[in-house]
Amino acid sequence: MERPAPETEVTLREFTEADAEALFAWASDPRVVLFQRREAYARVDEARRYILDHVLPHPWYRAICVGGGGGAVVGSISVKPDPAEERGGRRSSRASLGYRVAHGYWGRGIATRAVQAAAEAAFAEWPWLVRLEAVADVENPASQRVLEKAGFVREGVLRSYVVLKGTPRDMVVFSFVDTDRERNKPVEAHKD
Amino acid sequence: MEQSTGQGAQPAVEVTLRRFTLADVDAMMAWASDPLAAAPCRWEPYTSTEPLLAYLRDAVLPHPWFRAICLAGDDRPVGAISVSPTDDGCRAELGYVLARAHWGKGVATAAVRRALAQVFGEVEGLLRVEALVDVPNVASQRVLEKAGFTREAVLRRYCVLKGNVKDMVIHSFISTDTVLLELD
Repeated sequence: MERPAPETEVTLREFTEADAEALFAWASDPRVVLFQRREAYARVDEARRYILDHVLPHPWYRAICVGGGGGAVVGSISVKPDPAEERGGRRSSRASLGYRVAHGYWGRGIATRAVQAAAEAAFAEWPWLVRLEAVADVENPASQRVLEKAGFVREGVLRSYVVLKGTPRDMVVFSFVDTDRERNKPVEAHKD
Repeated sequence: MEQSTGQGAQPAVEVTLRRFTLADVDAMMAWASDPLAAAPCRWEPYTSTEPLLAYLRDAVLPHPWFRAICLAGDDRPVGAISVSPTDDGCRAELGYVLARAHWGKGVATAAVRRALAQVFGEVEGLLRVEALVDVPNVASQRVLEKAGFTREAVLRRYCVLKGNVKDMVIHSFISTDTVLLELD
C-alpha cells in the first residue's frame, strides 16, 4: 500500500485551548455544520468556550492534524461511550463516533484516515468496547462513503432519528465491531 | 396520528393501560418471578416481593411513561409496557413484558397498539418510538410489525444482555405513522 503524501498524512492529538482559532475555522462554516445540530459559530470565543466546556472534559475528543503531529489542525473526531450500556458501574460495550473536517481539506481522504485511526485507538484503549457506531444523514452521501471506506458496515436507515435545526432527519447507521477487527487482522497472526 | 384497520387473523383482544400502584406488586410477581418472561429482559427473575416493591417504588412510579397492561373489564395487571427516554428527547424506547398465561392471544400486540395511540400525545417532543429485539425472538418482532412498527436494521453486537453480546433488530414507529388495528 502506498504511503499517503506527507501533507495528507493524518495524526490525531488532544486539543488545547490554543486550538480555538483552528476549530473556529470549520465550526463557523455553514457547509461544515450543515448536518450538525449546532449553529455556525460567529465568534472565536464560542470555539474557545466549546473547547473548555465540551472538548477537554470529553472522554475521547481529538484534533485531526495533517503533515505530522505539529501540523495544521483541520478537523476533529470524537468517540463517546453510550451511557445506556453502562450498568452497575460497568464500562460501555458500545460507543458512537462523530467527526468534522474543514471544507478546504475535503476530498483528500483525510476523514477516512481519521476515522480508521480513531476506531483503532478506541478499540485499543477500551478493551471492553464491542461496537463502534456512526450515523450519517441520508442526504450526506460523502459522509456515508467516508465510513464505508474506513471499513464500517452500513446496517440500515433510522427514521426521524434526530431533529436537525427543527426538522426530523433520517440517518444511515453504520458500525465497526470487535469481530470486524478479528477478520481484518493480517494472515501472519494465524500461524500454528 | 391516523389509525386504520388491518387484516386480523384473531378476534380482537381489548386491553387497557393504566398507571401502576404499589398494590400491584403481587400481580407483578406473576411475570417478574418467571424466568421465561424475564429471559429477554435486562433484569433477573425476582424471588421475593420486597425487592420488587422497591423496583415499583423507585423505578416504576417515577418513570415518565410506564403502564400496567390490563384485560378489558379486569383491573389486575397481566403485564407492563413502558416508553423510556433516550439521550435524545425526540426518541424513546418501547419495552414490554407479559405474564406467560397470556402469551399467544394477541395481548402484547393490543398493548403496543394502545401505547402507540397514547404516547405521542402524552410525551412532549416525541417523534420516534423505537424497539429493539434480539434477532432470534421472532415472536416479539411479529408483535411489533402487527402493531405498525417498521423493521429498520440489524444492529450488530449492539448490547450485552446477561453476559452475552446480542445482535438486535431495531424497529421504529414515528408520529406520522399509522397504528394498525384489528377489525372489531
